[in-house]
Amino acid sequence: MNGSPTIGWRGKLLHIDLARGTARTEDIPRDLLLGYLGGRGLGVRLLRETYHLDPFHPGMPLVFAVGPLCGTAAPTSARLAAVSRSPLTGTVYDCSAGGRFAYRLKASGYDAVRIVGKSPVPAILSITPAGAELSAAGALWGKPIGETVRALEGGGSVAAIGPAGENRVLFACIMMGEGNAIGRGGLGAVMGGKNLKAVVVDGDLPVAVADKTRFGRARQDVMRLFRASPVIFGELGIAEFGTPALVDLMRQRRMAPTENFRRTVFEGSGNYSGPAIRKAYRPKKDGCFGCPIQCKKSTQEGMHLPEYETVSHFGALNGIDDLHAIVRSNALCNELGMDTISAAATLAAWGEGRGRFPAAEEVEGLLADMGYRRGEGDLLAQASRRVAEAMGHPELSMSVKSLELPAYDPRGAYGMALAYCTSNRGGCHLRAYPISHEILRKPVATDRFSFSGKARIIKIAEDTNAAVDSLVACKFSFFGATLEEYAELLSAVTGEEYGPQMLKEIGERIYMTERFYNCANGFDARDDRLPARFFREPGSGGEGIEIPPIDEKRFEEELLKYYRIRGLTPEGAFSDPDFLGKLP
Amino acid sequence: MRDQIEKYEARLLADRSAFPGKIAFAAQDDTLLADGNPELARLCGDVLSSLSCLGIVAARPSLPFADFLVRRAPRTESRIVPRDTETRTFLHDIPFLRREELGDAAAEKIALLLGNRKGVIVEGIGIVANGTVTVEHAYINYSSVFHAVFVKYLLDALAEGFLLPGERDAFRAFREEWLQPISAEGIPFRSGPLADTGEILEEIAAVGRHTVERGLVDSFFGNISYRSGNIVYISQTAASLDELPGRIDPVPMDNSSTTGITASSELLAHRRIYEASGASAILHGHPKFTVAMSMLCEEKDCPIKDCWKECDRVRSLAGAPVVAGEIGAGGLAKRVPPVISSPRKAVVYGHGVFTVGETGFAEPFRDMVALEGLCREEYFRRLDEKLSG
Ligand code: SF4
Ligand SMILES: [Zn+2]
Ligand SMILES: [Zn+2]
Repeated sequence: MNGSPTIGWRGKLLHIDLARGTARTEDIPRDLLLGYLGGRGLGVRLLRETYHLDPFHPGMPLVFAVGPLCGTAAPTSARLAAVSRSPLTGTVYDCSAGGRFAYRLKASGYDAVRIVGKSPVPAILSITPAGAELSAAGALWGKPIGETVRALEGGGSVAAIGPAGENRVLFACIMMGEGNAIGRGGLGAVMGGKNLKAVVVDGDLPVAVADKTRFGRARQDVMRLFRASPVIFGELGIAEFGTPALVDLMRQRRMAPTENFRRTVFEGSGNYSGPAIRKAYRPKKDGCFGCPIQCKKSTQEGMHLPEYETVSHFGALNGIDDLHAIVRSNALCNELGMDTISAAATLAAWGEGRGRFPAAEEVEGLLADMGYRRGEGDLLAQASRRVAEAMGHPELSMSVKSLELPAYDPRGAYGMALAYCTSNRGGCHLRAYPISHEILRKPVATDRFSFSGKARIIKIAEDTNAAVDSLVACKFSFFGATLEEYAELLSAVTGEEYGPQMLKEIGERIYMTERFYNCANGFDARDDRLPARFFREPGSGGEGIEIPPIDEKRFEEELLKYYRIRGLTPEGAFSDPDFLGKLP
Repeated sequence: MRDQIEKYEARLLADRSAFPGKIAFAAQDDTLLADGNPELARLCGDVLSSLSCLGIVAARPSLPFADFLVRRAPRTESRIVPRDTETRTFLHDIPFLRREELGDAAAEKIALLLGNRKGVIVEGIGIVANGTVTVEHAYINYSSVFHAVFVKYLLDALAEGFLLPGERDAFRAFREEWLQPISAEGIPFRSGPLADTGEILEEIAAVGRHTVERGLVDSFFGNISYRSGNIVYISQTAASLDELPGRIDPVPMDNSSTTGITASSELLAHRRIYEASGASAILHGHPKFTVAMSMLCEEKDCPIKDCWKECDRVRSLAGAPVVAGEIGAGGLAKRVPPVISSPRKAVVYGHGVFTVGETGFAEPFRDMVALEGLCREEYFRRLDEKLSG
């Protein structure tokens, strides 16, 4: 079947070797597209020969992959995944981002770009339907994101690294010109390690849709569910307030991580809640290309305002209640090209270790030091686990697999506790995303203080979201729509029949591939651990809600159950060494 | 999980949507658990073991409407397409398997369909529905299918009469035995205005329970709110009306807090209704005869194709105005408030009823009961007319 035509997909991979300065177009076998979809799945599959290499090894690919829906009017689908191995966690790593870049990459004729090698001099990669070109970054090396993007955007959409990526800050991100970030896991450092300052893409090739009527109907079904979802289009939802709509909710649920997770309620959080941001900045709607939700917010001048995790971590986690300082911290991270969650969480761990959290006016200086690896910043650039170890207090790093936990205290949602640990890329809320049912009641509510059934729920959600990340659609769509409607969109675009169950099976293949890579690189059940604090210390109860420490024994039981459901050994490993050999 | 299964089995019996003794659930954790009618339980287990879902229910509905719809469908069809709002929004359509398609591989065939949908109808067996997240989720999907089938069958019978042998008798049994009188008699409503938060929360929860117990709504559908000063207390999204304690969000009218992001998707409609009507209490539910009757439009040569969302006329049903509009941000919130003030009630096309109370819930509850009663009467009057004429 290889090589036969496809609709929706391009069937083309652009392979770039920076060391040799060469570009080559390859056909992507059709069974890989059908079986891995695109985005995360395709990117992960493309690492099969190299997953054991060090993240900074020149042979370790950095892949940008779009999905079959990209370039169509499927809601929230103009996204891509960047995939490589993370220098922060050591795990295989993918990260999804919006902006125009994804759509332009698809419009230049490719499903994916795979970049290997290290350029002898700092370089810029330009991609158009006519081909790829490398040029010297020259004076742009060393420049922050804004300046870099402005210098290059005449050539199309830009994905660039800032000083943090150049200096291999372990949580450096890749910034899209429109302000979206390939945020977590340090893929910006991988790009910096390749001496690649930016990728610029442009193109105008349209994407065909196999069945336009069916597509239109499925799209209407999705939009109807968006309108029926309080979280999406509700008056208090993310289209109105952006993700900071969660600030008030997490406070009320008493699970807002405060002072490096010592407490779970922060008195000053009202200063940076959704309504507070609205009052202070009169923001306008902003967001990913073509997305009907537009959950991002920016100032009237166009400066991007922070997301929930960012306000909460530069806020409560460091005991800071000054909204403007938080907004400036976010802006500075965006300029330096640095993940806000890891940056803020690293400051909090370091703050607890030295007995004093940074004051609002200190933060910017510290962030700049991190980005440029100056003074104390050189240590901080290595993120919380390494910082806490260097301080002799490894227990102060609130991370799983070295990835800093975001702003959902696991003592307030047990599915989240489990999901942090089973996530293949470390302490991330977006893999199984149980916040959706444990807190936001979508698709239905589950008891957040119970482990019952959670192992299976997490497993199913991880598979589902692996498919979503491969389509590549935005997780927020699923506060309303389900795989049912997205499978319809996919079938309509590609002319191949997909259904929810089939997508979950594809997701399972992707998840297990990642887990296999990790296990082969030395990860096992010992890495699926939460920081001890959560089993020893309570959170901040009150107003009729108690936040006790998590019952460790019960947690262990459920984790073992999870391994059984996944078909793994009690050590979280594979019993079949040839597992990958049986997959497409 | 066994407690969950017991709970929702009891639910199916309490809301009389499933036949006693013909109910089974399966749930899977690291092991598979199936319970209920042995034959159905085996089927549930077999279906569930090939699906990425947490729970599944298979039950014979208490009314034979699903089977009738399947048998009335053209031979070329493999799904029914109810036009009520619930279905159009969440189910889209409902696939079915005919008895003769089942063969020996029933579980396999059901799993194949159910791998794509939330619920399916299997002729001779009943409704099979899945739940990705919980057993409750499966129960909710069962309820949605049951509701959709109920409403569609009422409308089809009214339009086409009885077509199959046995239909007339079954319908008579439905009318004379299954249906029970609904009433608001004997419910001790608090008279308002309710000032104290505890009192408000208790009253909302009590009213929610009564709507379910009196058979006005299936437990999953609808929402309730009370306004006191600047705060609207409203039931949460996806909350069963008979399980509201702890599931009511206080939402400030001026949006100064976003805690209510978990509130019902009809929050906006409730707010606008308060602003337009000056009322203090709102009850919203989906009583079946009202839903069915709201979809009967006598207009000739109406250019509008998608009445449920696009019709901009205000029709009338048993003294209540009927407007179109989708859920949430979909137009219902715009169209209901302007028409509700003086009749104190409004119907949404294919969806349900909003009733309001000056200071408490006695008035809106009685109005909803009365409206559903009138719609029921009117339905049977028209049906009798059709059958005799
Ligand atoms: S919902 Fe927000 S993050 Fe998701 S695609 Fe739309 S704008 Fe982007
Ligand atoms: Zn409703
Ligand atoms: Zn009409």
